[in-house]
Amino acid sequence: MSGWDRTRMERTLENGVTRRGFLKGLALTGAAAAAPCLLLRALSADANQRFGEGYQVFRNACPRNCYDTCSIKSYVKDGAVRFVEGAPESTYTHGGLCVKGNSYVRYAYSPDRIKYPMVQDGRGTGRWKRISWDEAMDRIAKKILELKQQDGSLLGLALTKYSGNFGITNYGVEGLMSSLGYTTRLVGTPCWPAGIDAQNFDMGNMWCNDPEDMTQSRYIIIWGANPAWCSVHSMKYIYAAREAGAKIVVVDPVLTQTAAKADEFWQVVPGSDGALALGMCRHLLDLGLHDAGWLKANALGFDAFAAYLRENVTVEWAAKTSGVPAERIRAVAEEFARAKPATIWIGYGMQRHVNGGASVRAIDALVAMTGNIGKVGGGARYGHLQTWGFNYHAMIRKPPEGSKGFVGAAGPKGEFDFAQGGAAVKYTDRALNINKTAQEILDAKDPAVRMLWVSCKNVLSQDFDRNKLLQAFKKLELVVVADHFFNQTVEQADIVLPVTTLFEEWTVNVSYWHYWLSLNEQAVKPLFESKSNIEIAAALSKRLNELAPGSCTFPTQLDTREWMEKEFNKKVYELFGIQSWEDLRKGPVKARMPQAAWSDLKFGTPSKKYEFTSDLCAKNGNNALPVYVEGRKPYDKLRLLTPHSKFNIHSQFQNLDWMMGFNPAPVVYVHPAAAAERAIKDGDTVRVFNKTGEVRLTARLTANVARDTLLMYEGWYKGLAFNCQNLVDDTPADMGKFKTGAPGVAIHDQFADLVRA
Amino acid sequence: MAKRLAFLVDAKRCLGCFTCAMACKNQYATEPGVNWREVYPLQADIYPHHERAFYSLACNHCEKPACLEVCPVQAYSKREKDGIVVHHQEKCIGCGNCIRSCPYGAPRYNPVEKRAEKCSLCHERIDAGLQPACVQSCPVAALTLIDLAAGEPDNSVQFPPGYPKMPALNPATRFRQAELPIIHRREDI
Amino acid sequence: MKPSMELPLVLFTILSQTAVGIVLLSGLRRWSLAGGAGQADRREWTAAAALLALGLVFSLFHLGHPLDAVTALKHLSTSWLSREALVFALLAGLMLLAGVQGLPRGIVRLTVAGGLLGLLIQGMTYAPPSFPAINNVLPFVFFLVSAVTLGAGAASLLAPEEARPALVRVLIAGLWAGLGVHLAAPCVWLSGGTVMRLTGQAYLASPLYWAHIVIGLALPLWVVLKSRSIPRWLPFVLLAGALCGRIVFYLETMHTAANMGALY
Repeated sequence: MSGWDRTRMERTLENGVTRRGFLKGLALTGAAAAAPCLLLRALSADANQRFGEGYQVFRNACPRNCYDTCSIKSYVKDGAVRFVEGAPESTYTHGGLCVKGNSYVRYAYSPDRIKYPMVQDGRGTGRWKRISWDEAMDRIAKKILELKQQDGSLLGLALTKYSGNFGITNYGVEGLMSSLGYTTRLVGTPCWPAGIDAQNFDMGNMWCNDPEDMTQSRYIIIWGANPAWCSVHSMKYIYAAREAGAKIVVVDPVLTQTAAKADEFWQVVPGSDGALALGMCRHLLDLGLHDAGWLKANALGFDAFAAYLRENVTVEWAAKTSGVPAERIRAVAEEFARAKPATIWIGYGMQRHVNGGASVRAIDALVAMTGNIGKVGGGARYGHLQTWGFNYHAMIRKPPEGSKGFVGAAGPKGEFDFAQGGAAVKYTDRALNINKTAQEILDAKDPAVRMLWVSCKNVLSQDFDRNKLLQAFKKLELVVVADHFFNQTVEQADIVLPVTTLFEEWTVNVSYWHYWLSLNEQAVKPLFESKSNIEIAAALSKRLNELAPGSCTFPTQLDTREWMEKEFNKKVYELFGIQSWEDLRKGPVKARMPQAAWSDLKFGTPSKKYEFTSDLCAKNGNNALPVYVEGRKPYDKLRLLTPHSKFNIHSQFQNLDWMMGFNPAPVVYVHPAAAAERAIKDGDTVRVFNKTGEVRLTARLTANVARDTLLMYEGWYKGLAFNCQNLVDDTPADMGKFKTGAPGVAIHDQFADLVRA
Repeated sequence: MAKRLAFLVDAKRCLGCFTCAMACKNQYATEPGVNWREVYPLQADIYPHHERAFYSLACNHCEKPACLEVCPVQAYSKREKDGIVVHHQEKCIGCGNCIRSCPYGAPRYNPVEKRAEKCSLCHERIDAGLQPACVQSCPVAALTLIDLAAGEPDNSVQFPPGYPKMPALNPATRFRQAELPIIHRREDI
Repeated sequence: MKPSMELPLVLFTILSQTAVGIVLLSGLRRWSLAGGAGQADRREWTAAAALLALGLVFSLFHLGHPLDAVTALKHLSTSWLSREALVFALLAGLMLLAGVQGLPRGIVRLTVAGGLLGLLIQGMTYAPPSFPAINNVLPFVFFLVSAVTLGAGAASLLAPEEARPALVRVLIAGLWAGLGVHLAAPCVWLSGGTVMRLTGQAYLASPLYWAHIVIGLALPLWVVLKSRSIPRWLPFVLLAGALCGRIVFYLETMHTAANMGALY
C-alpha cells in the first residue's frame, strides 16, 4: 500500500485552517448548512417547542445497492438535514431505516467529505491541491480531446461504474460517455449475474414475488442469503410467516444471524448447493411428491430432468457432497413439497461460485417441480427489474457526428442496460469485463485504456485481485474519480470530483426486491462545491464544446429536477397508479402488480414454459439441464468467504466515524480447531495470505464457521489499509455473460491460510 | 393514572442490526463514540453462538435511579406522568458521578460538551404522540415501548442473564429471551 | 464507562485524607487540651488546611465545568458527593481557623469529628453499586488507612518533637493494617461474582498495585521497624506509593457495565 498520508491530506485540505476557524468561516459565509454534526443538535433543550415543529420535510430514497431501497423522510431546518426517518407510507420501509440509513446525516455532513475538485500530485501521495471546477473540466476535456486526436477514437477512455448510486438519473454518467463518442465500458456485474442468467434460462426473466407476500408462505428456505443483515426489512415478513405456522430453514456455510433466527440451520459445504438441491429433487421424484399436473401444463423437459436425476443423483450422494445429513434432506424436501405455498430465497452469495449458475438452476428446479412458481407466497426469489421501466433519458445519448469506435459484436452492458437492442450499428463501445478489470486494462490494446472515469464505484476497494489492479492503474494516464470520500480508489486518482449525496439532488428510485417507487427530492443545496453526476456531465460538455465545438452532445446545462421528471413515462404512471411524479411527494407508492411473479404462467423462455431443458443455456456454454457442476478445487488450506457485513454497503458507511464507533475494526473469524493448530488465540493479530496477496487483522474464534473455513467481511474502514480483495482472484462463475455482458466471479471460491502476525 | 414507560427488549426477535443505536444518534446528532444506546452481544455462556443474540440497552428509567440520587447539582428528574428520567444537561457540571454510579452505564461523558448525557426516552417525541426514535426505527419490532403501569408484559423478565441485577434501583426495562435453531453441522469434517 | 486514572480525584482524595489524618492525630493527642497551642502544633493545622485546599483545587480539574463547582452543593438530600463537597469545604475552613486561633478545644474536637465524618462520606461517595468490589466498607477502610499513614508521615515533618514517638507507633500500626487490608481485599474478591473477581485479577496483575504494596506499605514498614523512627524522606515515599494505590482504585476497579452481556 503506497504512502497515503491521511494527516498530510487533512492538512492540505484545510490549508492550515483549524476546525474551529473553518466552522466560524462557514457561519460567516452563510454556509452553516454545510456544518458538520457538531452544530446539528437536532432537538433543543427547549421544553416549550413541540417536537417536529419548524422543519421542512422532504422525500428521499436510499440509492445504495441494497434489497431494501428505503423510502426516507428528511427533516430540514435552516438549510441543513437534521435527522431522517423511514417513510411510514411504505409498508416495506415501515417508518424505519437501518443502521446505515440512520447514519445518513453523518454521511452527508461528515468532516471527511470531499469539498472541492482536487488534483493529486502523484497518485497515492496524498499531496492534494484544490482546483476550481473550471480547471478540473479543462484538464479533463483536454485529455479527452488528446485521446481522440491521437487514437482516432475515444476507446482509450474507459468508464467503470456500478452500484454506488442507483438514483435513475445517475445513468447520465453512461450518457456522458455516449455523448462523447464510442468509449470503453467495463461491463457486467460482480453482484448477481450467474443467477440472473440461470433464472433467464429457466423462466425467461429474473422476477421475484413481492417480498411482502412471504407472510403467506408456509415454508421458507433462505439459501445462501442473510437478510437479518442485508435485508432487515424483509425479516418482519419471515417472522410473520413463522408466527402463522411456517417453517424457516436456512442453508449457509456460516451460522449467520439469519440462521440463528431460523427453525433449522444446515451448515452446507460452500459451492455444493446444486448437489443438495438435486438430492432433494431426487427424493421428491421418488416419492411422487412433484406437482405432475403443473409440470405437464407449464414445463419443458421435466422428463429429461427426471431421467438425469435417476441416473446421477442420490440422496446419499447429495448428503456426502453437501455435508447435510441424508435424513434431513429427505425430511425437509417432503415438508417443502407438502407445504403450500413454499418458497426459496436464493441469495447472491450462493451463486458467487464457479458453479453458481448451475446451483441456481438446481434450486429453481426444486421450486418448479413442487409447483410453487407463480404462486403468492411461493417462488424462487432472487430479484427483479420489473419496476425499472423508466425512460433512461439521462443515459440514452447520441455520439457526435463522425465518431469512430469498436467494430465487433455488441452485447448488453450490464443488467441495468435498458437501452440495449435496436438496429445493428457500424460502431459500438468496447466492452471489457468489469469482473476482470485489472487484467482487461493490462491487456487492452489498439488502443490501450489510457484514461479511466470512475463513478458510483470504488474500484480499489471492491474489484478483485487488488495487487493486479494497482499494476493496471500504472498504465492509465489520467484517472478521474467522482466520489464523496478519500477512499481507496480516490487515493490512486489524479483528479477527484466531489459529488452530491441523496439529499442534494433530484432523482427517482426503485428496488430490485420490493415493488415500491420513491421520489428523491433535493432537500438541501449541494454541500461545498459538490455537483451531481449529471451536473458534472453538463459542465464537462460545456468545456469540451468550448474547446472543440460538437465534441460532446450532452447538454451543457441542466436542472436535476427536470431530468428526474424526464425519466417518467406513461407505463410508469400506470404501473404505479399515479398521475404525475408530484404524487410521490406525499410518499412512496407501490406497483400495481400481482404479488406473485409469473402468476399468468406466461414464461419468457423460447418455449414460453418453464425450461428444465434449456437450449439457450446449452448455447451459452453450459448444460441444457440443471445438472450438478463441481465446485472449484481448493488451492490453499482453508476456504475464504468474504460476504457482506451489516455495517456497510460495500465500501460505504463503514468509514463514517459513527459507524466506526459501533464496529471499529475488521475481523477474521476462525474455527477454534483451525486456530489451535496454528497457535492462534482469540484476539491475536494474524496474517491471512494466499497466492493473490495478504491482509493483517484481528482473529476471533467461533464455531459459527466450519473447521475448514475463514470468514471476513468486505468493507472499507476509515484509515485502515485492510482490503479483503487482496485475497480474491478474478476466477469467473459459470454464467452471467448472456444477460449482463460478462460472467460473474467466484468470490466465495477463494482459499487461504493464516499465521499469527 | 400515571404511566410507567419502559423498553421491552425482545432478544428473540432482535437481529443485532444496530438500527436502534444509530437511530438515536441520528435523532440527537451525538458525538462519535458517545452512544446513548448500545447493542450488547451475549457471551457464549448465555447464548452459545458468537455474536448472534443481543440486548439493546439505553437508559432503564429506573424507579429509584442511581443517577438522580448521586447527582450533586440535581441535573436529573423523573417525570411524574410517565416515569421518564430526564437529564437536564444545561445544569450538569461534568463531575462524572452519574457515569460512575449507574450500574448499567447509561450516562455517557460528552468530551466536547464536557458534560454527561443519556437517553431521555425521546420525551420530546413522546409528548408529541410519537414513538422514541429507536423504537420507531426497529425493523422487526424487537424494541418496543410498553407501560408497566398496565401490567407486566407476557413472557418477560426484569433481570435476564447478562444484565446486572439491581432490584434496589428497580429498572423498568423488560426482556424476552433469545431462542436457538436446530443446527445440522457438516458431516464431512 | 471508560476506565480512567482520574488523577484529579486521586490527588483530591490523597491530599484530603492526609489533611484529615494530620488533624485527627493532632486532635486526638490534644483532645483534652484547652488551646494556646505552640507554633509546631499550629503549623500542622495550617499545613493540613493548605493540603486540603490544594486537594479541593485539584478536584475542580475533574469537572467539565469547574466554574460552576459551587452548584455541587445543591443536592445534600441524597447525593453523597454534595455532602462530601460541603463537609470538606467546611473542614478546610475549620482547619485554618483552628490553626490561626491556636487550636481551641471546641474547634479541634469539631474538626476531628468532622474529619471522621468526611472519611465516612468519602467512603460512601466512592462506593456505588456499580462497582461490586467496593460497594461496601472497603473504600472507607482504604481511606482511613491513607489518612492514618499519610497523616502520620506528614505530621512527622510538622509536629512538635514530643509527638514523634507516638507517630512512629501510629505509622507502624497503620502500615500493618494497610498491608493486611490491601493484600486481603483482592484475594477476597477472587471468590466473588464475575465483576468482583475480574477486579481482583486486575488489581493483582497491576504493576501500580504492587508498587503501592511495596513502596507505599512494605518498604516503609520495614524502614520504620528497623530504625524506630520516621526518616525525613519517608513521607514522600509513602505519598508516592499511596498515589499508585489510589490510581489502581480508580483505574482497575471494574464497573458492572463493562460485563454487560456476560454472566454476572
